[in-house]
Amino acid sequence: MSTSPLAQAMGDLDESGACALVAEKLAAGEATFSILEELQAGMSLVGERFESGEYYLSELIYAADIFKKAGDPLQEGLKSASSNKLGTIVLGTVKNDIHDFGKDIVATVLSSNGIEVVDLGVNVEHEAFVAAIREHKPELVGMSCLLTTAFDDMKDAIQAIEEAGLRDDVKIFIGGGPVDQVCADYVGADFYGRTAQDGVIAAKRYLGVSQK
Amino acid sequence: MSTDTGKSPEQLYQERLQRLRTAVALGTPDRVPVLPNGPAWPARALGVKMSELATNAEVSGRTIIDAYTGLGEIDGIQSPAYHVSTLSIQWLSRVKVPGKDLPEDELWQVDEAELMIPDDYDAIVALGFGPWVERYYAERLPGSREAFNAWAATIPSVLRECRDRGIVPFSPAVGTIPYEYFCGGRSMKEFLLDLYRRADKVQAAMDAALPVLIESMRGVIRGLGLVGLWLGGWRSASEFIAPRLWERFVFPYFKGMVEAAVEEGAIPVLHFDANWDRDIERLRDLPKGKCVLSLDGKTDIFRAKKILGDHMCLMGDVPPRMFSLGTPGEVTEYCKRLISEVGPGGFILSSGCDVPIDAKYENVKAMVESVAG
Repeated sequence: MSTSPLAQAMGDLDESGACALVAEKLAAGEATFSILEELQAGMSLVGERFESGEYYLSELIYAADIFKKAGDPLQEGLKSASSNKLGTIVLGTVKNDIHDFGKDIVATVLSSNGIEVVDLGVNVEHEAFVAAIREHKPELVGMSCLLTTAFDDMKDAIQAIEEAGLRDDVKIFIGGGPVDQVCADYVGADFYGRTAQDGVIAAKRYLGVSQK
Repeated sequence: MSTDTGKSPEQLYQERLQRLRTAVALGTPDRVPVLPNGPAWPARALGVKMSELATNAEVSGRTIIDAYTGLGEIDGIQSPAYHVSTLSIQWLSRVKVPGKDLPEDELWQVDEAELMIPDDYDAIVALGFGPWVERYYAERLPGSREAFNAWAATIPSVLRECRDRGIVPFSPAVGTIPYEYFCGGRSMKEFLLDLYRRADKVQAAMDAALPVLIESMRGVIRGLGLVGLWLGGWRSASEFIAPRLWERFVFPYFKGMVEAAVEEGAIPVLHFDANWDRDIERLRDLPKGKCVLSLDGKTDIFRAKKILGDHMCLMGDVPPRMFSLGTPGEVTEYCKRLISEVGPGGFILSSGCDVPIDAKYENVKAMVESVAG
């Protein structure tokens, strides 16, 4: 599949170019979905470049912000159309930890890759994860922490999900500064992501979406 | 007073200082020096409330020194003095403080928010960084400057206490580059976007801030007669930003601060958290045998040794997770590997960043004991 000019502009972090192309396409009456898909194809390019080491976190953040800005005029049109989301993730920084940066980056990057994010914020009570799973029926749950003291809170939150009988309904992702595979095993998570892009790749894998 | 080694505290201090200086100069001392670090674990280990440790200078100094010297033979402590206001001062951020905003025995946490606005870049250039930042502390972080100054006045007595007990207060002051100040004040996401959307304004503000920060650092080194000091890099880590941004907004500023510290006769401890793998080679542009690169377990210290081993002393890097969840055997094994592969010359053993608050006592002790024999 060849890359469209809009996807290319998005992938190249050409902010003004991407915004202008979206405006042109809307003016020409193109369907909002197809425009959104082009922007998402651009985000895939960004992801690939991140994976290959060409882009860094700063570009992921800038790309996600361009995506949001360029995609803003599409929102009205998308409301009336049926959902094209790939899946849903409930996300939060666990109890006793108020750090939101890593969690926010993951939220931004996942949502610009077509995954609906239910962001529970920081210092999230274990039961709030359980309640959100019941309410939103996500395929994925993401937990973040920066403090080693929150490992036990992560473990307890996962235990609470287990006790509520919901553990088999979701895949649980964890991430954050001190988190590693040993921590993932300790808390009983399904996946540990070192970067936000790791999260996107794993989320798409779990959701059965090909990486193009 | 003499110790059980028969040496006076001053003799021990000189011996340990020499051991550290040998390592920094890329030599091989009689054994690898060990310098534990981190203020929270000592409080937890000695049953001191976190609220006291965070805000009472006298308590923090005593607690940190007592807890680490109680582990066995250490050569010094990186930062034996602590006050939570330092975080607001260096990151231009609010901090949630135990006993005030959090329960008494919880760890403090930086409360990141956009306290600094885009117009501040112009204000820094117009007013000068010094007047601007003092106004910022007064208006947006009220009380932080006063608390910091009151604590800073107590540092000399903590440094004397270390020396009286025969240990080296290795890097008891913290400096950092404008990037870290602005990133903390703007919040990381907004700041990274600024680097794309208003890069020239950011750079102008950084260029206005750097000479002020360097002069302030020189004053601290002279005033306290420091052996070394931290030059901290957290959000400016290579893993977070594109190479061209790092070359423009990060490295030149570290280089300026490092060279000034070395000129003052102090050892800059590049306390670099997160992953700096991409740019390790660039650190060869810093003065040879004069600095320490302190890593937190996220940068590959073994690879860094191969690239920098003939140029810069390395310090680290027992990962926080290993202290919290690991076993003494695991810690000992990792330390032995560090000593043989990153040491024995040009290496100082330490925790990767801080010993975390919930580190197991026996794991911290295992690190200290691993340098013997």
